[in-house]
Amino acid sequence: MPQLMPSVKVLRLLPKWLLLLGLLASCSSTNSNAPVNLKAGLPVGAILSLTGNANVYGQDQRIGLELAQAAFKPGSSIPLNLSIEDGGSDEAGAINAFNLLINRGSAALIGPTLSQQAFAASPIAQRRGVPVVAPSNTATGIPELGNFISRVSAQSLVIAPLSIAKALQLNPAIKRVAVFYANDDAYSTSETAIFQKAIKAKALNTVTVQRTQLNDQDFLNQITSALRAKPDMVVLSLQAVDGGNLIRQLRELGFKGTIVVGNGMNTPNIYPICQKNCDGILIAQAYSPELQTDANRSFVARFKAQQAGAVPPQLTAQAYAAYQVIAEATERQNKRQPLEAKPLREVRILLNEEILRGTYNTPLGKISFSPEGEVIQESFFVAQVRMNPDGRSGKFTLLP
Amino acid sequence: MIDISLFVLMLLGALLALAVYLPLRAGQLSLATPGFYTIGGTVAALLSTQLPGLGGSDAVYPLTSLLLEMIVAIAVAGLLAFLIGKPVLKLRGIYLAIATIALVEILRVVLLSSPWFGAAVGIFAIPQPFEGPEGYLIAYGLLLAIVAWACARLERQPLGMAMAAIRDDELAARCMGVSTDQVKLIAFVLSAIVAAAAGVLAAHYFNSWNARQANFDASITTLAFVVLGGSRTWLGPVIGGLVLTALPELLRPIGDLRLIVFGLVILLGPIFIPQGLIKSKQS
Repeated sequence: MPQLMPSVKVLRLLPKWLLLLGLLASCSSTNSNAPVNLKAGLPVGAILSLTGNANVYGQDQRIGLELAQAAFKPGSSIPLNLSIEDGGSDEAGAINAFNLLINRGSAALIGPTLSQQAFAASPIAQRRGVPVVAPSNTATGIPELGNFISRVSAQSLVIAPLSIAKALQLNPAIKRVAVFYANDDAYSTSETAIFQKAIKAKALNTVTVQRTQLNDQDFLNQITSALRAKPDMVVLSLQAVDGGNLIRQLRELGFKGTIVVGNGMNTPNIYPICQKNCDGILIAQAYSPELQTDANRSFVARFKAQQAGAVPPQLTAQAYAAYQVIAEATERQNKRQPLEAKPLREVRILLNEEILRGTYNTPLGKISFSPEGEVIQESFFVAQVRMNPDGRSGKFTLLP
Repeated sequence: MIDISLFVLMLLGALLALAVYLPLRAGQLSLATPGFYTIGGTVAALLSTQLPGLGGSDAVYPLTSLLLEMIVAIAVAGLLAFLIGKPVLKLRGIYLAIATIALVEILRVVLLSSPWFGAAVGIFAIPQPFEGPEGYLIAYGLLLAIVAWACARLERQPLGMAMAAIRDDELAARCMGVSTDQVKLIAFVLSAIVAAAAGVLAAHYFNSWNARQANFDASITTLAFVVLGGSRTWLGPVIGGLVLTALPELLRPIGDLRLIVFGLVILLGPIFIPQGLIKSKQS
């Protein structure tokens, strides 16, 4: 039997480990009383889910930030020096990335991608007085984490009921509704609760609620049992891939009624999945590429130029808007009171106040913030998908 | 660039590694650690947010309530491990691993499908017993010190020797009069207790808790801690947990490559140092 290492020896080694850890720790932490470092522009950090199961969202957001950088850096008196860090798809990853960027002297942060990450990581920024603009946290209670936390992503609470109302307007005969959602997905679960409330408020009859899983491919069981209840309308709270598959199977199994989908499917990535079956679905949008404003036209043009003519998804537009909010607030603040040589801590406080004070013409439309940091967005959209005859590409057509 | 909060996560990694190490010391490859970790976290999240009597609405959550949560979590996880361990530990090797993966999966589905446990959204706004990460560092440091000390003691006790004997040769151990079923069960229950205690602190530290904490990835990551650190003495998993939690952060300067390098370390570690970083001396 092996003789085990005597713990005395371990204890003798312990100081060495502690010394090593101490050394590693000592090379961190910018002093927040030191003046802000503007050599390469105002340091701003972004925490995106570039790895893990939310990486698709993070990649969309990265494109938005890069486009925003290209759009706002030239001609700015105080450009932002953006560094993007991977926050993974879990709480620990976001905490690490937040700390890293705050220690590196970021004046403001963009992120994290997931609401759950925000609940764990944003309080760190709040504690240390660093403004955070969240580009994609839609859960209830995010701006309430503190006065330094704001978001440009509207809650599902505001958007979801609009599409139900529109569906009824288009077809007042709708009475029976079937609801689908992925019960292992935080977004789906919280949005479906809002949908179901909206359905009840319109005095419609929810005939069945079907649960799916985020990684499901085959929905035969759920669809056949839903169709047995003879719904006039189906309401989906799903993400692009599972939602797209479900719509295709739903139509193939003979459902002819109205399909309403949630904000999770507001991406052109659904076209290749449900193809011609996407046609006619109703969707509530926090961002529409069809919005005819200067800000949106220029954003869409930039995106198309970079992505070979593709149409930008909502997450990209929201990330772009988050960057724009910080860039414009910095510019205004610097004009009013130059940030040069001011201590980092003060810059963060001033910037936070300026962010909340302003109004911004973003691709999302005109937005501003409530005193808590909740986004006040002027325009939400209900669109209907119109597929082209090739069945591979299509368009979200805005409904009046 | 290392921050205090990374140290907290490193200590958490070390604790979870010890939880994997305990059954492994008795030769049992159990991947149920994240399951018991999640149970601990869920108990803490529910108690602190649902029972106003514990002081969840106070500015600073009382430490006595934290201690109470820990006792409840340990009791729940320990009891569950005891009840499940009896039938499950009859399985050996890879079959035991599969059964424990299934256990974690069942737990995940149960948490997801019951609104009472927060379903997919999870439980938010868990009250904070400490102002900042420093408090958690001390709490985790204490917990790790206690568990590590207990493990070090255990290794020199008859029970620890019996565990090692089962690992080396279960049949021989049984012939020598070691009550193998009982020893394995004790190791399994101890592992559950350590994981649950770590989970209680983690729920407060993360401020939110959800079923995604219990997944197959977490099982494998914690196992990697022990494989890289070494499974012969308690120090191995501790070092493995600390190093492997810190490594992805230390590798940040190399950008997108960091997870590839991290993967390579996990891959090459067992090839070049099959016994792990910390080896035991042969007598």
